[in-house]
Amino acid sequence: MSQLTEEQTAPPKRVHRQRSATQWAVAWRRFKRNKSGVAGLAIVIAFVVFAIFGPLFAPYPPRSTESLLQGQAGQPPSWKHPFGTEINGIDVFSDSIWGARNDLWIGVAATAIATLIGLAVGALAGYSRGVIGGILLGIIQFFFVIPTLLLILLFSRVFQVLVYQGFGVNLIVLILGLFGWPGISFVIRGEIFRVRELEFIQAEKALGAGNLRILFRHIVPNVLTPVIVLASLLVAGNILTEVVLFFLGFGPANVATWGELIEEGVQYVSVYPWVALFPGLLVVTLVLGFNLLGDGLADALNPRLRE
Amino acid sequence: MKALEDLLKVEDLRTYFFTEAGVVKAVDGISLDVRKGESHGLVGESGSGKSVTALSVMRIVPKPGKIVGGKISFDGTDLLTLKEDDMRRVRGSKIAMVFQDPISSLDPLYTVGKQLIEAIRANNETVSKEQARDMAISLLSNVEISEPERRFNQYPHELSGGMKQRIAIARALARTPTLLFADEPTTNLDVTIQAQVLNLMKDLKKNFNMTLVLITHDMGIIAEMTSRVTVVYAGQVSESAETHTLFYHPTHPYTEALLKAVPRLDKRKQLQSVGGNIPNLIDPPTGCRFHPRCPYAIQICKEKVPDYEEVETDHFVACHRWKELSLVGVQ
Repeated sequence: MSQLTEEQTAPPKRVHRQRSATQWAVAWRRFKRNKSGVAGLAIVIAFVVFAIFGPLFAPYPPRSTESLLQGQAGQPPSWKHPFGTEINGIDVFSDSIWGARNDLWIGVAATAIATLIGLAVGALAGYSRGVIGGILLGIIQFFFVIPTLLLILLFSRVFQVLVYQGFGVNLIVLILGLFGWPGISFVIRGEIFRVRELEFIQAEKALGAGNLRILFRHIVPNVLTPVIVLASLLVAGNILTEVVLFFLGFGPANVATWGELIEEGVQYVSVYPWVALFPGLLVVTLVLGFNLLGDGLADALNPRLRE
Repeated sequence: MKALEDLLKVEDLRTYFFTEAGVVKAVDGISLDVRKGESHGLVGESGSGKSVTALSVMRIVPKPGKIVGGKISFDGTDLLTLKEDDMRRVRGSKIAMVFQDPISSLDPLYTVGKQLIEAIRANNETVSKEQARDMAISLLSNVEISEPERRFNQYPHELSGGMKQRIAIARALARTPTLLFADEPTTNLDVTIQAQVLNLMKDLKKNFNMTLVLITHDMGIIAEMTSRVTVVYAGQVSESAETHTLFYHPTHPYTEALLKAVPRLDKRKQLQSVGGNIPNLIDPPTGCRFHPRCPYAIQICKEKVPDYEEVETDHFVACHRWKELSLVGVQ
């Protein structure tokens, strides 16, 4: 038996390390070196903290017109109203805080729904061949080509009745979630085509593994990295769609969101420019944050850029 | 040599790939018999149908490939009529396979240990996780991996190609199969590691009491490792014999050409490659498929498919002219 095996000729590695770094740990190490990615993450974390704890310090409840009674409507920014007030006396600062909570919830929850649907449909479409795969591809393509924004507008009108039962924000979440998945499905399906042909899948089959085990234990985990990147970008997209929805006047009434503030602000932009300005800046900053985060993740998780 | 009984008998196997460009007849009537305990070589150029034969036996031919004909019997069981669920139980436990590329034959997301445990417990949940762990560690020492306890917790990307192939071998042996297909197990390793892995496989074959089918295009490995050989060309068998006979008394021009293409240290001679290319398997040549490349081809070779004839006991050839040609083997 040969004593000089390749592991003995290789340079000695550190022996005391017990468990090896997972791919996630490696990716995190790479992510930390990417300045814009870290900046994006910092922005996102700041907004999450702001959304969770901000309402504790919000001077007024959401959509409160209290200031109107105090003769404070349409005031420019001041110490009392840091972002000013709008024509009905709503404190822009308070509603921006409540809006952060609603917008993040819309962005994240709708993305979660879209990602789960996208993952399931894309995985099945990618793994099954023949008729089932074809039908699933047809479904994905159908949802991909229909004008989503128009449908969203339609649905938000049709189901407006739910809004009065306190379903306002979650209606938006559901609509965005149920229509936002085809992009993710397409990517998953393509990635699964790639991974499915790799030799370790064949090796698993040769060991007697069943189809479901191969799909969910070996294929899906290997296509998750683009999903993470896409999901982070989709959060930004969903927040923008929310703004558009409210801007066009299709948002549920009496819900504090940035889109609602911007819509009100634009109507009186020449008189009270601060009403649209501050929530607009918040939207831009948060969307930028998610985009930077997504780009950073894309680089960190790219296996071809391994150090 | 005492006669061994057949473990695997493949008769007239046909596996076609239904692509958009046409039907690729990757395996078009291959017959093979592998005897209990032997090392059988399956040799031929890339694309000759060696690997597809192995995948067909395990019934894991990737789509759009499909087994369209033939018979495969393994240890008395007809594998082609087995239900998929029963076939799944044969894979890994009775017949296992080691693949060509160790880099991609392990899932990058799981540790070596996890993958071994999964292999040990596949379709066999009676083994507890603790037992499986101990078995995995001993498998690692069986394939001569140093510090098995540490390797157990490592990910594939932390290991060298040679180590990965050892682990792939360990995984294939997890449930002590009776038949092991090794599909070009050393092609992607460098030469020194190749020798180690081949020696390891020899030892393991003996210790685990296995039958080995070694798929390769390397006649050197065939000479070193096997006792009988089947030479395949363009999806069909051209010659089959005991390794010694095949090397010294080849009767098929393709075998002769392969032997001439082997580099020799002891004779300074221009290396001869087999002229031409492997034929298009969508529209293979008429008659003998080797005739466009064969230096001895005559008219009948273009017109008639040669029969698979017995030269002597255990020596078969598919060539119209084997009786009249005196081919040169290894000298």
